[in-house]
Order: sequence, then C-alpha cells, then structure tokens
Amino acid sequence: MVDITQIMRFDDLASKDSLIHNLEGRIKLIFTIFVILVCVMSKELFIPIVLETILLIILKIADLSYWDSAKRLLMLLPFGGAIIIFQPFIQPGNIIWSYSWLHITDGGLNWAILLLVRMIVCLTAIIIYSSTTPLQEMASSFRKLKMPRDLAMILSIMVRFLFLFVDELAAIRKSQKSRNFNIHGNNTPYKWRVKQVGYTIGMMFLKAYEQGERVHKSMVSRGFSDASEMFDEKRSPEKSDYLFIIAIIIIVIILEIIIFKYSGQLGYFGQNLSIN
Amino acid sequence: MENGGIELHIPDGFIPITQCIIYYVILIVALYFSVKWARSNLDEKRIPLLAVLAAGIFAIMSMNMPIPFGTSGHMVGGALVAIVFLAPEAAVLVFTVVLLIQALIFGDGGITALGANVLNMAIIGGFVGLYTFKYLNGIIGKYPAAGIAAWLATVLAALACAIEMAIAGTFPVNVGIPSMVLYHFFIGIIEAVLTVIVLMALDKFRPDLLAWNNATEGDA
Repeated sequence: MVDITQIMRFDDLASKDSLIHNLEGRIKLIFTIFVILVCVMSKELFIPIVLETILLIILKIADLSYWDSAKRLLMLLPFGGAIIIFQPFIQPGNIIWSYSWLHITDGGLNWAILLLVRMIVCLTAIIIYSSTTPLQEMASSFRKLKMPRDLAMILSIMVRFLFLFVDELAAIRKSQKSRNFNIHGNNTPYKWRVKQVGYTIGMMFLKAYEQGERVHKSMVSRGFSDASEMFDEKRSPEKSDYLFIIAIIIIVIILEIIIFKYSGQLGYFGQNLSIN
Repeated sequence: MENGGIELHIPDGFIPITQCIIYYVILIVALYFSVKWARSNLDEKRIPLLAVLAAGIFAIMSMNMPIPFGTSGHMVGGALVAIVFLAPEAAVLVFTVVLLIQALIFGDGGITALGANVLNMAIIGGFVGLYTFKYLNGIIGKYPAAGIAAWLATVLAALACAIEMAIAGTFPVNVGIPSMVLYHFFIGIIEAVLTVIVLMALDKFRPDLLAWNNATEGDA
C-alpha cells in the first residue's frame, strides 16, 4: 500500500496547467481505461511498447517529471513483481537454464516479460491520469459517465473527506512520533504495538463514522434529501478532446492491423508470449 | 491483513479480460443488492455515512504495521465493516469505492481486476466474516467469534485470489494456494486481533454504532 499522505502532492500536480491537464475529465478517464484494456488484451509486446512510447510523450506534454514518475512506478512494481518473478520458474515450456531442481523455461520467461511490460504500461497510464486529474474531477467524470447515483455520490463525498483523513493520519503519526512511538522498533513488545495499532484504527473508524453522521446532519440542514443530486459543472468535451481520443483509437487500430498482417516480420515483438 | 509482497490487490494484466468481465458481472449484481440494502436500511443517511466511512477505511488501509517474517502489512477490514453493520452489503459499497480510488490514484490493484478485487476483499471477506461471526456468536461469544470470522475471511479471500490467479494461468494452483493461504493463515491472526480491538473500542465508546446492539432477537 502506498502512503496516502502522497495524495495531497498528487492533487497539487493534477491542478497544474498543460494540454493534458486541460483535457475534459471524461476524456482522460476513457483514454486511461482504453489504454489499460488494449494493453491487458495484448499478447505481443509490440502494442504495449508503442503505447508506452506514446504515454512517455504525453508525460512530457503534461510537464510531469520523468524521474518522479519513474520513482512512483518503481514503488508500485513490487506488488505484481512478486508474482512476475516466479513465472520463469513455474510455467511450462522448453528449459533454457537449470541448476539442480531449479529451471527456467522459455514460455515462463516470455510470459514474465509480457506481464512486466503490461504492468509498466498500465501503471504509466494511471500515473499520468492521477497526475493530471484532481480527485473531484475524477468523481465528476464517473457521475457524468452515468455511474449509478448512490455509488457516484458516495464516491464524490468520499474524495472530499479523504484529505481530512490524510490530515488526521498525519496528526496521529506526529503525536506518536513525539512520544517516541516506533511501530517498527523492537524496544516495545510486539503484542503491545499491535494493540496500539488496533486502538488507532478503532479511533479512526469512530472518527469516520461520527464525521459521517455530522456530515449527514449538516447536509440535511442545507436541504439534502434522498432526491438531491450532485452539482456538476457544465463542460462539454471540445474539439481538441475528441481529437485526442480519436487519435489514440486510430493509432490502436493501426497497431492491431500491423500485428494482424505483419507479426512475423516484427520478430520477438510480434510473437505471442501469452499463456492464457 | 495483507502485505506488500503477497498482495490481495490483483494488478491489471494478470487476469484475462474474459475472466475480468465475469468478475465485473458478479460485482454489478453485488452492487445492485448492496444499494437496495442501503436504501432500505440506512435511509438518506446512507450516502454521507458510507462515503466518510470509505474515506476512513482508505486511511486505515494505509496504516502499515510490522508483521512476522520481517515484512509489514496493513489491515483490510472487509469482515470488520460487515460485522459493524451486520451486513456484507456495507462492505461491498465501501470497498468498491475504496478499491476504485486506490486503483486510479495509486495503481494499487487494477482497473480491469476491480471486480476480482472487490469479490475477494469485500464480497468473500464480508460474507465469510459476517456469517462465520453469526454462526459462532452464540457458541463462543461475540469477540472470539469476530476474531475467527476476520481470520477466516482473510484466509478465504487469499484462497479466492489464488484460485482466480490459477484460473487465469498466472499462478499454478499447486504453488499459489500453499503460498497465499499459508501466508495469510498467519497474518490473518493479526487482522483478527485488530478487528477484535476495533470492535471492543466501538462497543465501549459508541455501542449504538454496532448493529449487534440494535439487532432484534435472532438477527445477530
């Protein structure tokens, strides 16, 4: 799990001004999901690699730091990386290296490479999306894309309160630190530390619930009812938004045609590496 | 409880899209019944209450603590939410938005794998947690029952995750099940302890928040 106190920094980044930041929220969301879908369905390396190149160009246009984005990517890789690392050893195929009972197969290695590339592309798309779209715009995009009303409202209110809890968490950490509490330190019994974490979680849970009740009361006092709707700023996609999304769709269609017709000439990049 | 190495958050690309669609269908059905439950049980209070609770759960899930084997992990809380409300539907609603935001902001868990992730942590976690609690409550008492329920929910969520990965061909069942289940067998104990501590704290300071205190005979 990534440190959620980073959320403030992501929202600051997302409030910057660039061609990508200024795209309409729905367009950015559709673009991100489209890239992820295409990438997940790709069985060859060719399409994900071209998509990653496009994403790196978009990263530059969005004026985002390659170094910071790479750091975020590296922090996220271990989650899936733990599974990827086993693939060459556990998947069937021709043995290309062996030592005692340990062996690496070509099928496993290819599959691991494909998984890694897929993961990098999907995470790059997410990094771009979260660095160019403020949380409120994300929630508003889901509402405009007709997410079921109750869920969309829960999502919208939740993102408003995320920042409050991030602050709350930071305050708890600060007060624990000021009392020399070190959760990872071994100078206190493990049982005692688990207990303290339990109390902290209990307090957060309680605060969340009570805050929820207060929010409800304050909303009711301002006229909130079951029939209330969230306010959405009226902003329709502009020509540049449509151009952006059409361009990526056309690029993907061209890439699919290239794979369909010329996969043999692309060498390793056109080879089907998938095992499922 | 889960840790950074052996995660329950399945990333994008690990499950084929056809299987992702099946998990999304399960998610949509679960959401339909969950929204229906919330409308009849929480009135118009449901939206702010579940929303702020989701924000709180989001923060709770980011509180890392050391776990044996030299790594660190965080609480999941699917069973906890289901037991507090005596309804797995609450866990489904809360975790759908939490996992969606985690996927979109942090890339923690995939967008295409959202259905599978909600299935494991909220649907299986919530149902197993609640019904184990309900079954054991009358036999061994509420806190031991809640502890075992949270532990079993963690282990079965890990089992489901291993089975999904095996069906996807990403992790063979003979490797995935022993590693995932065995690992969560132990760290589930910490999830159980934390769940019990939180429930005890809630029972002490705000007993009215726990549905078991408001439930009619036979509900809990």
